[in-house]
Amino acid sequence: MTVIELESVTKRYESGQETIKALQSVDFTATRGEMVTVIGPSGSGKSTMLNLIGLLDTPSEGTVRVDGRDVTDFSEDELTEERRSEIGFVFQDFHLLPMLTAIENVELPSMWDPDVDRHERAIQLLERVGLGDRLTHTPEQLSGGQRQRVAIARALVNHPDIVLADEPTGNLDRDTGQTILEELTRLKETENIAIVAVTHDEQLMDYADRVVQLVDGRIQ
Amino acid sequence: MSRIAPFLRRTPSVLMAWRNLGRNRIRTALATLGIVIGVIAIAGLGMTGVALQQQATSNLGGLTNQVSVTSGADSPEDGVTTAQVADIRNLVVDAEVVPQRTDRTTLSTRSGAEQVVSVTALSEASVLYDPVRGATPDRLRAGALIGQETATRLNLEVGDPVEYDDALYRIQGIVTPQQGFGGGAGLVLPQSALDEEPTYDSVTVVATSGSQARAIADAIDAEFNEADEQIVSVTDYASVQENIGSFFSTLNLALLGIGLISLVVASVAILNVMLMSTIERRGEIGVLRAVGIRRGEVLRMILAEAVFLGVLGGIVGAGLSLAIGAVLFAILTDSPWLVFGWSSAQYLLYGFAFAVVASLLSGLYPAWKAANDPPVEALRG
Repeated sequence: MTVIELESVTKRYESGQETIKALQSVDFTATRGEMVTVIGPSGSGKSTMLNLIGLLDTPSEGTVRVDGRDVTDFSEDELTEERRSEIGFVFQDFHLLPMLTAIENVELPSMWDPDVDRHERAIQLLERVGLGDRLTHTPEQLSGGQRQRVAIARALVNHPDIVLADEPTGNLDRDTGQTILEELTRLKETENIAIVAVTHDEQLMDYADRVVQLVDGRIQ
Repeated sequence: MSRIAPFLRRTPSVLMAWRNLGRNRIRTALATLGIVIGVIAIAGLGMTGVALQQQATSNLGGLTNQVSVTSGADSPEDGVTTAQVADIRNLVVDAEVVPQRTDRTTLSTRSGAEQVVSVTALSEASVLYDPVRGATPDRLRAGALIGQETATRLNLEVGDPVEYDDALYRIQGIVTPQQGFGGGAGLVLPQSALDEEPTYDSVTVVATSGSQARAIADAIDAEFNEADEQIVSVTDYASVQENIGSFFSTLNLALLGIGLISLVVASVAILNVMLMSTIERRGEIGVLRAVGIRRGEVLRMILAEAVFLGVLGGIVGAGLSLAIGAVLFAILTDSPWLVFGWSSAQYLLYGFAFAVVASLLSGLYPAWKAANDPPVEALRG
C-alpha cells in the first residue's frame, strides 16, 4: 500500500538572478514494508526530495500525496499535523535534545498532547532497540549508536506510516552502522512502515528493497 | 529535578523551558540578575519614598492642632492688625489665640560670648512653651524666657539679666518650644518689648484637635479672604500635610522612573539572551518542528523560558527589596514591620509584576521568530 507519492514534482529555488531546479518532474512512491534507498552525488537533489517527502517543504509544481490524500496545498499548520502523525525522522547527527533523557527524547513528538500517554510506548520502543536500561540517560551519556537508536525510537513513537532517514549511518562506524540498518530492517517489518533512506553509504544499499538514483534532480 | 519531572510532564512547555535554562546556568543567572536589579530599583526606591514620607509625617505630629495666620499678599498692612486679632478671637471658641511679633538680636554675656537669636514677643507663653527650669507664666508681662539651647551656649541661668533694645530683662524660665508654628526658641519677651510695631507678625491658634484646627483655618479664611483677595494667609497642618504628600508623590514618581529605566534595561538584556539562545538552538527548534511540534507549542516553550527568568528574578528581587525596606524603615521610622504595610508592600507587587510582564514582552519577539522559522531552514542550523 502506497504511503507517500510524489507525482511529477519540480522544485525550484531562486538564488539571486538564477533559478536553480533542484528537482525536475520526479515521480516517486513508497509502500509499507519496503526500504527505499535514494542515492546520488551531492547536489543531485537528494535532500530536497527528502524534505518534500517529509512535508518539510512544498513543491513548486506537482503533487504530493500521503496515504492517497493530496497534501500539496496544505498550510504549515496542517503539514505539521501530518508530520506528527504520519512521518518519523532519523537524522545523520541524531538531533536529540541534549537536556532531555532518552525516554523524554522519545516522547518528544507527542509531549504536547495531554490526551496521549506515550510513556509505555516509549519504554517499549527503547527496550526493542536494546536501550531498556538506558531510559534516563541523557544523550551525552550514550554512544553514537545508542543515540541513533534513541532517534529511531523517537521516529516510531507516534506510529508513523513512513520513516525518513537522512544518512542514518553517516556518523557511525561500519559495525555500528550495520546494527542500525539491521534494526531498521527489523522495524520496517514489525511496524509495517515504509523507510526512505538517503545515503552515500553502499552498505545501506545492501539492505534496500529498492534503490533510486538521482542525478541533477532527475531520477535515472 | 527527577521528583518534579512527573508534574512538569503535564506542562511540557514549562519542562522544556526549565531544562533549557539549566543548560547555560551562567547566562540564566546573569539574565536573572538584571531583572533582580530592576525589581530592587522599583520596589526599593518605592519603599524608600514611603519610609521617608512616614518619617516626615511622624515628625509633623506636634503640628496637628495648630493654625498659623500671617499677613496675606493682598493685605494693605504689613502684618496682622490688632483689629484682625480681635476678629480672630471672636471667631474661635475653645482655642488659644497667640499673637506675636518677632525680631532678631545679638545676645552677649559678660564673658564676651555672643549669639544671634530670634526674639519673640507674646504674652500667652505657657501655650507655646514648656518650662525646663523656672516657670512659663500664662501671661508674660515682665522678665524673659530663653530657649534651652541658647541658655546652655551662653551659660545663662534663671535670674540672670539679658539686654534687648537698651532694656534689661530678668530670665524667669528656661524653656523648650512645643512643636508647631509659634515661637522661636531664642529669646521670649513680653509684648511690651516690641509694641512700637503697629502689627503682629503672626498669630498662632492652638486648637484642641486636628479637625478643630482645620475648621478654624477654614473659618478664618472665609472671614477675611475673598476668592481673588488674600488678606490673611492661613496655614494649618492639613495643608502642610498635603504639600508634603505632593512633594513625596513627585519624589516617588522620580524614583519609580529610575526603577523603570533599570527594568527596561533588564528586559533588553532578556531580549538579547532569548534571541541569542533561540539563534543558537535554531537546529534544535527545526527538529522540534520536523517531528510535528506545532508553532504555538514552540512559542509557548520560549515564552515560558522568558517568564521563568522574570519570575525567578522577581522573587529574588522582591525578597532582597523586602530586606532593604525593613532596614530602611528600621532606620527612618524605628519600626521595620511597617515595611509590610500596604503603602510600601505594594511596591514589591509592582516590582514583581513589572519583572514578569517585561520578561514576557521581551520573550515575544524571539519566541515568534523561532516558531515561524521554516523547518527546512531551521534544520540547516
